[in-house]
Amino acid sequence: MTGTGTLLQSGLLPQGMDVSFKLAPAVLVLGMLAVFLLIGFVFRVADTEDMWVAGRSIGNIENGMAIGANWMSAASYLGMAALIALSGFYGLAFVVGWTTGYFILLIFMAAQMRRFGKYTAPDFVGDRFNSDTARGIAAVTAFLIAFVYAIGQARGMALVGLYIFGDIGFAGLSGYQAMVIVMMTITVLYLTLSGMMGATKNMAVQYVILIGAFLAGMYVVGWTQGYSTVLPQIEYGMLISELGTEFSEPFATASPYLWIATCFSLVVGTCGLPHVLVRFYTVENERTARWSTVTGLFFILLLYLGAPAYTAFGVRMFDVNPNTATTYAAEGGMSAATADVLVVVAAQFANLPQWFVGFVAAGGIAAAIATTAGLFITGSSAVSHDIYVNLINEDATQRQQILVGRLGIVALGVLTTLAALDPAAPIGALVSYAFSLAGTVLFPMFFLGLWWENTNRQGALAGMLTGLTIWFIPMINEVLPTYIGNGEPYVAALAQWLPAIGSALIGVPVVFAVTIIVSVMTDEPSLETKKMVRQCHSPEPMGQQQSAEDVVTDGGEPLDD
Amino acid sequence: MYENILVPTDGSETSEAAVEHAIGLAEKYGAEVHALYVVDTDSMSLSLGAEQLDRIEQGHFGEMTEIKDRADSATGFVADRAAEHGLETVEHVSAGRPHSLIEDYVEDNDIDLVVMGSHGRSGIKRALLGSVAERTLRSVTAPVMVVDSRDSA
Repeated sequence: MTGTGTLLQSGLLPQGMDVSFKLAPAVLVLGMLAVFLLIGFVFRVADTEDMWVAGRSIGNIENGMAIGANWMSAASYLGMAALIALSGFYGLAFVVGWTTGYFILLIFMAAQMRRFGKYTAPDFVGDRFNSDTARGIAAVTAFLIAFVYAIGQARGMALVGLYIFGDIGFAGLSGYQAMVIVMMTITVLYLTLSGMMGATKNMAVQYVILIGAFLAGMYVVGWTQGYSTVLPQIEYGMLISELGTEFSEPFATASPYLWIATCFSLVVGTCGLPHVLVRFYTVENERTARWSTVTGLFFILLLYLGAPAYTAFGVRMFDVNPNTATTYAAEGGMSAATADVLVVVAAQFANLPQWFVGFVAAGGIAAAIATTAGLFITGSSAVSHDIYVNLINEDATQRQQILVGRLGIVALGVLTTLAALDPAAPIGALVSYAFSLAGTVLFPMFFLGLWWENTNRQGALAGMLTGLTIWFIPMINEVLPTYIGNGEPYVAALAQWLPAIGSALIGVPVVFAVTIIVSVMTDEPSLETKKMVRQCHSPEPMGQQQSAEDVVTDGGEPLDD
Repeated sequence: MYENILVPTDGSETSEAAVEHAIGLAEKYGAEVHALYVVDTDSMSLSLGAEQLDRIEQGHFGEMTEIKDRADSATGFVADRAAEHGLETVEHVSAGRPHSLIEDYVEDNDIDLVVMGSHGRSGIKRALLGSVAERTLRSVTAPVMVVDSRDSA
């Protein structure tokens, strides 16, 4: 990815990390997952005997926390600190990109998506463009996003797992690889058990536990090492001069172009991720949709404002800790694997009690597992709902859907495990590939689909296929060689201008242009579709029980805006 | 003998195989027919995501048109068959685990006979999918008549 030029081997082993089995942290990790399952069970979905009685409604604070928990994966918990540590200023593109996306969501999409009121992202694409092919492409994209996103999570879980469970390499696998298999097995099991969980309440509690673990780590490390007191988010600035220019100098490790490309990709990717958008179709009403975005962003910021400070503490301790046998600025310096667990090793370097380090580590694993569970559900719903029920077997019974959904989850689990055994990049970068994909293929469909009524089927199909192609080119150029080649991109200039991590900067404008041009050149969509689009952003408040489709089919005359 | 006969249905051919049996009995005993469709929350959380369950809990089932249509057409099938024989049908939709909602419905509505279809699955398929009929048999106290869809054609 960036100038640090780390070539990753499958024997990933963080420098200076104490790799051994530790009882207290192990109990904490399993305990945390058990708590998740328990609260899931306590708040499980009650039987609904009368479908027409409104039960408990979910407010925007709770929804915001659920957004935070869904969002907060290993990429935020571990990966963000890692990217800032490895590439300094460049890492800020992630802090900015992963939050700005919510503004676009708030202004252009949250309430409009609520009005459309569909079930899944491919549902929106299929219904808006009246096309099963479009639905199919969107479903395949959603599945791919879940897969690519989960590779980063698997890497994070396994690296932290090394700290907690030690090197348990078996059957010729390295300790890291064995841990990938163990962790992915735990994830799939967790998912099987969590099937009946009520989503929102459970996720709100998860959020509180995860943010608690992260902030506790940051505050305690800063306090005990004398780096900070009450506001580490600002106080870490005093460390900057000691950290070396690699850390603080703008564009030392990556060009301004790469910074902008990455940041842009993350912004649009946020708006195209099916597992982020799903919450907006289902909230009580548009107002809750908007306010949930705001509170969700606030809860996410609690982590993001702290990440740079935590990283600075970690880098400083990496420098002064003799166990690492190197310094940050030295040749070779900090490895990507170390950076990926910096949040955990920082606590270890600070000589904090083992159970406390274990608590921070458990938070990282739990964040990864919880998000992976959400991703796998999106992936399985693409397979069972969007492809199987809508395209293959319209008469599928609910039981058959369960079977296909479970097969989808197992398939995702196996694919992710295989791809994560020898991962191509650090957590944050792996996850960014999924953002590039979501931003390039799905975001333009949502944005144009919601805001420009003349977008038609042909335009959407052409746009999505163009988007997929643009996403695949740098993936083949840069990422494929790390699995089957020497790790260097096939075409260096292409990697510079169309980087896999930020391919949406080129992809999005091209997809917009293709979609618009093809739409203009072909027949306009039907009046019914247009009315549906108008209804999505009509200034007239929508009745809480109506979706845009209802309003149209009921013959309601949507206001033009 | 029977006053209220319940036909749980998921809209599949399997469950529809039981309908004729239920109607025959209802006609003979002058019983009322109840058609129940249960939105399987387990299936929904896997195929649509758990967020959709919140939607039902908040009472927004009305806007989930595809699922509602599916439920209505399943119970509607029973009602249409019954109407052909001049019988009234009570149609009901609920959400949860099918067998436990069937149990609840039996208790709340004085059902004295349940007539339902079964695939007669065995082996791996049964282990993976389970059998709603089997679970209902175990949990419901009223008599249950299971119509094996493999023979009923």
